[in-house]
Amino acid sequence: MGHTSLEKIIALQKKTPHIRNLCILAHVDHGKTTLADCLVASNGIISSRLAGKLRYLDSREDEQIRGITMKSSAISLHYTTGNEYLINLIDSPGHVDFSSEVSTAVRLCDGAIVVVDAVEGVCPQTQVVLRQAWLENIRPVLVINKIDRLIVELKLTSQEAYTHLQKILEQVNAVTGSLFTSKVLEERAEKDAEAQSSCTENGSGDQVYDWSAGLEETDDSDLYFSPDRGNVVFASAIDGWGFSIHQFAEMYSQKMGIRSSVLLKTLWGDFYLNAKAKKIMKGAQSKGKKPLFVQLVLDNIWSMYDAVVTRRDKEKVEKMVTSLGLKVMSRDLRHSDPKVLLSAICSQWLPVSQAVLSMVCEKLPSPAEISAERVEKLMSVGARRFDSLPEQTQELKKAFLDCSADETAPVIVFVSKMFAVDSKALPQNKQRPLTQEEIAQRREQARQRHAERQAANQSAETLKGTELNMLPTALSVKTAVEEDNKEHFVAFARVYSGVLRKGQKVFVLGPKYDPSLLPEGCSAADVLPSVPHMACCTVDSLYLLMGRELEELDEVPTGNVLGIGGMEEFILKSATISTSPSCPPFTPLNFEATPIVRVAVEPKHPSEMPKLVRGMRLLNQADPCAEVLIQETGEHVLVTAGEVHLQRCLDDLRERFAKIEISASKPIIPFRETVIRPPKVDMVNEDMGKQQKVAVIHQVKEEQTKYPEGVQVDSTGLVTLTTPNKMATVGVRAIPLPEEVTRLLEDNVELIRTMEQFSLFAWEDKTLDINQKILENIQEFKVKLESNLQGRKWRGAVERIWAFGPRRCGPNILLNSVEGYRRPSVWQCLEREKETEKAEIRDFDNSIASGFQLATLSGPMCEEPLMGVCFSVETWDMKLSAPLAQQDSIDEDSQTAEPNIDNQNESSDTHETNASSASSNRSRSGAEAAGSSVDCYGPFSGQLIAAMKEACRYAFQAKPQRLMAAMYTCEIMATAEVLGRVYAVLSKREGRVLQEEMKEGTDMFIIKAVLPVAESFGFADEIRKRTSGLASPQLVFSHWEVISSDPFWVPTTEEEYLHFGEKADSSNQALKYMNAVRRRKGLYVEEKIVEHAEKQRTLSKNK
Amino acid sequence: MSIFTPTNQIRLTNVAVVRMKKGGKRFEIACYKNKVMSWRSGAEKDLDEVLQTNTVFVNVSKGQVAKKDDLSSAFGTEDLTEICKQILAKGELQVSDRERQSQLEQMFRDIATIVAEKCVNPETKRPYTVSLIERAMKDIHFSVKANKSTKQQALEVIKQLQQSIQIQRAHMRLRFVLPARDGKRLKEKLRPLIKTVENEDFDEQLEMVCLIDPGCFRDIDELIRCETKGKGTLERFSTLSEDV
Repeated sequence: MGHTSLEKIIALQKKTPHIRNLCILAHVDHGKTTLADCLVASNGIISSRLAGKLRYLDSREDEQIRGITMKSSAISLHYTTGNEYLINLIDSPGHVDFSSEVSTAVRLCDGAIVVVDAVEGVCPQTQVVLRQAWLENIRPVLVINKIDRLIVELKLTSQEAYTHLQKILEQVNAVTGSLFTSKVLEERAEKDAEAQSSCTENGSGDQVYDWSAGLEETDDSDLYFSPDRGNVVFASAIDGWGFSIHQFAEMYSQKMGIRSSVLLKTLWGDFYLNAKAKKIMKGAQSKGKKPLFVQLVLDNIWSMYDAVVTRRDKEKVEKMVTSLGLKVMSRDLRHSDPKVLLSAICSQWLPVSQAVLSMVCEKLPSPAEISAERVEKLMSVGARRFDSLPEQTQELKKAFLDCSADETAPVIVFVSKMFAVDSKALPQNKQRPLTQEEIAQRREQARQRHAERQAANQSAETLKGTELNMLPTALSVKTAVEEDNKEHFVAFARVYSGVLRKGQKVFVLGPKYDPSLLPEGCSAADVLPSVPHMACCTVDSLYLLMGRELEELDEVPTGNVLGIGGMEEFILKSATISTSPSCPPFTPLNFEATPIVRVAVEPKHPSEMPKLVRGMRLLNQADPCAEVLIQETGEHVLVTAGEVHLQRCLDDLRERFAKIEISASKPIIPFRETVIRPPKVDMVNEDMGKQQKVAVIHQVKEEQTKYPEGVQVDSTGLVTLTTPNKMATVGVRAIPLPEEVTRLLEDNVELIRTMEQFSLFAWEDKTLDINQKILENIQEFKVKLESNLQGRKWRGAVERIWAFGPRRCGPNILLNSVEGYRRPSVWQCLEREKETEKAEIRDFDNSIASGFQLATLSGPMCEEPLMGVCFSVETWDMKLSAPLAQQDSIDEDSQTAEPNIDNQNESSDTHETNASSASSNRSRSGAEAAGSSVDCYGPFSGQLIAAMKEACRYAFQAKPQRLMAAMYTCEIMATAEVLGRVYAVLSKREGRVLQEEMKEGTDMFIIKAVLPVAESFGFADEIRKRTSGLASPQLVFSHWEVISSDPFWVPTTEEEYLHFGEKADSSNQALKYMNAVRRRKGLYVEEKIVEHAEKQRTLSKNK
Repeated sequence: MSIFTPTNQIRLTNVAVVRMKKGGKRFEIACYKNKVMSWRSGAEKDLDEVLQTNTVFVNVSKGQVAKKDDLSSAFGTEDLTEICKQILAKGELQVSDRERQSQLEQMFRDIATIVAEKCVNPETKRPYTVSLIERAMKDIHFSVKANKSTKQQALEVIKQLQQSIQIQRAHMRLRFVLPARDGKRLKEKLRPLIKTVENEDFDEQLEMVCLIDPGCFRDIDELIRCETKGKGTLERFSTLSEDV
């Protein structure tokens, strides 16, 4: 067949009933791309000799090297059987990491070819793709591929092969069946729930329980694959052959004189041919006869392989070829590799493209046959029911169903992904092959030039003229080179209704767009009212997707897959394009794999940061499943679906989008520090206190060095500290907050911030208006706090709250327990009306608060923020001389308190006092002599801040300290047989299983577990490896959890010595985390430089 | 043919000598290499891992042991272990290679952490990561000086880094209220110190919210305090990096 011209395809695009949009789905390495190659070869785009080897649709370099497909790519094919069909074929990747690409492909199709390896059978990804096809409501057909492996590798007899094939078919049908039952059960449950609610309303007692589960009522026979229904093809794409039993039925009905309809029914199944009676009988297996399929179909193929590949019987081959009426070139006959001959024969005898394409055209629906059910599913986003959509929108359903290419029909297009294309590949910039005339013209020009040059030897003047002519061409070359470096994005889309034209004005609707928000009556031509998630643009260019190539089109009628250029400004990843603004956005794609592998990306050369940022943005757009985040710490985090996907994303960044050297590393893991109540039991679960302490030799020394001079710590944990100039003394105690309070504080950050703002304004005698709702919320928050802070210790605590921290809104509390000091409470905004007696504020009130903020921002363990700690200021004495009290308290930061270190202007450096409140820095002294006496320790307010900060830190250290780790909740779907391995991986990574339940109607288990973020690097990959891909985890950040082990723990009692040894060098999780953070930050880590003194390398041994 | 004859000397290998002068005499002890610093910082708690032998010498390399009389007159005790501990704590020693290396490495990290905390990427207004700063510091061949404070060195590094990458001290947001009388006069003086003015309100008094470089804070503070004789007020909001 010759190359199909563009004009032909354009003509075919208009005949909607003759279009088939389909994708090829399968497990990795089951032969999708090879099959696609065969189909492409049938259109003459590639040579049929190369089919299966070229992998035409794998256009990326790394796809070719790795031998796996990584992106879905489309191609339009032309097929004729009586009618002419246009087939838009989308090849999809099979690897788990790229299942997002499958989702984007499936959405645009009406049918799917599911390929199954005849040897491997149903694999994990096969189940996944079947489920995806099911969820998208598209009809699948089955291709059992690689049958040649049964013959050549496994050396099965035809009879064995038949049973094997039967088994595979059963497996596939079992998967489909389970999908069907789970859906029916679900619907049933829904119906039951509805019925129940209506029952309770009616109050009728007589309920009839129906135990049949509804399975009997629903017919599922048309779902299954069976050769006699014509939706199964047996093939070997690598050898280029494939057949459905239709072909054989027709062939034999002529030969044997049996009606083809009878043959069709009996060719697959337990039937045999009774040679004597010339009848087809049932029960081949019980009678030990060869089933019809084996006798008539498989035996032929087996003998062909036997003759050509195994025995290389030339005569027999020739006989077969002539009997089949084929022509084989003598070159192929003489070829030393029998595979060449085989494919030469088979591709003529039973061409796979013929078998597959005819099945596709017959069995798969055309775009016009879209079912109403599917339309409703596409149009109703999330939990919204179709009926609840606006009326105008509901009308569009008709447009969907009509699928008409009329001028009047509204245009509805869905863009499922954006893909990047080199500007070189765009048709505008491509060099067209020269036509005959052009070649002649050029030849003429060259001849002329040649003549001129000869003439130039005689006269120099002519030369000048040619030079002038040459100049513009050189210029144009230069501009072309500049353009080359740009990446263009093409939207991968399908038209569901109407005709999309170049230059047309359309609405681009984001995934979150809501048609009900739209004001009445406006069209694309109107000036846009600003509606969220909607943009208006003109269609720049339309492309026909031909694998790696693009052909430019002027218009695309309904039902076709196409590429749209120039949309990168408007579409991030997916979108709906329509001429009618009442069109709802399509339901989001079902992604089977959510991105979970996180890495931090950095440029090799720090100066290339802007390039990286731009590259990451492009990558985010180009990949439906990659996520790009910039964290608070300044890290650029890339989240991908798996290791292979990650590798591809990094390659893309390096070579296409950023074009710089980058390095990827483990992302920074945050921790929190907290204190807890003194534990009651020790590490070996013995009661504390009752144990005889073993004399610990060095413990004593440590205790003494822990606190420097000027710090007094009493046995209850009250820390008293005096400022360097001996003017003020503060006493602070650290108390652990109950867990509920911490959570409450975390959840109400916004409220606390509002309250802060209010007090800030109140400070300046202004008022901030807060609306009633927020006030109510604050009130509620206060009540909740009070109810959670019960007991003697916390009496009146809520009223006495001084500040929250860090950053004035964090999960730590500063409590005012100073006797005789009443300051305005943080709840001021609630008490506006009451007008309580004006509480005075002491001078330097803010220095204390700032000190608290600093202390909570970075704790003593590893300079991470604190969480769930209450610092209670119990004493605060000032011995101030008059001028000092008035000294301007414009804040110097804490460093000023250490005067020797920084006496340059850097002391004004504020970074550490970020959190110090604005008001803290107010100078409140009215009339004050400029440049008043500054004592040798720096400004007093600064000293007080430092003192307060230190006091908080020591108070913290006086209590049992613990590290808090961020935790992921991890949901794992796994089959029963790999459950054990999932548990093994979880426990190895310090995970804890919360619950495990079986999913109704399937054999999948859903396991819920928590896992420290610190242990999650490589988790997804490990779990997939260990379970051969049968378990897929999903990670979501959930909460902070106290790590139970004490980072500073050393064995003290007899039992602990016995259990852990003197050094306790068994791993201490908290210590491990803490030291890792300290090392990263360059803080001092208590670690020996060499562990064993005697084991160092001896430098001079023999002196 | 050489015959191996056992020597009656005990030869010490991998010796780090800690010296101390006390009572006009010099005392030395023999320790293992790379261990003395760990002992001083408290990481090493086992004395036997630090000391090769608990004898106190006058000269370790010659093997001359200190006399008992000298020891008791200088230290007031004859307990060798106690004397060794004193010498370990206060004596002078040559820092060995790995001790120095780990110390410098630690300082390098510390400097990078300080720089990362203080600076932002002016384009994204977000901080750089520590590892990126470390790499940039290596690129400009920055070498750590052990006798200068890490903070001081960090401030130097920032200046050097500004030539190679886009980096900027995080801005400080200030608000000051000045009496109208001084407002006009002061504004001109303040102008060069201010990076951007976010908000300006001039009726009875001049109220201004602006961004400044943290380095200028002292100057501005000084200026306002002197010029307005304490009438102007100045307050600081959080730094910018945190707001974005």
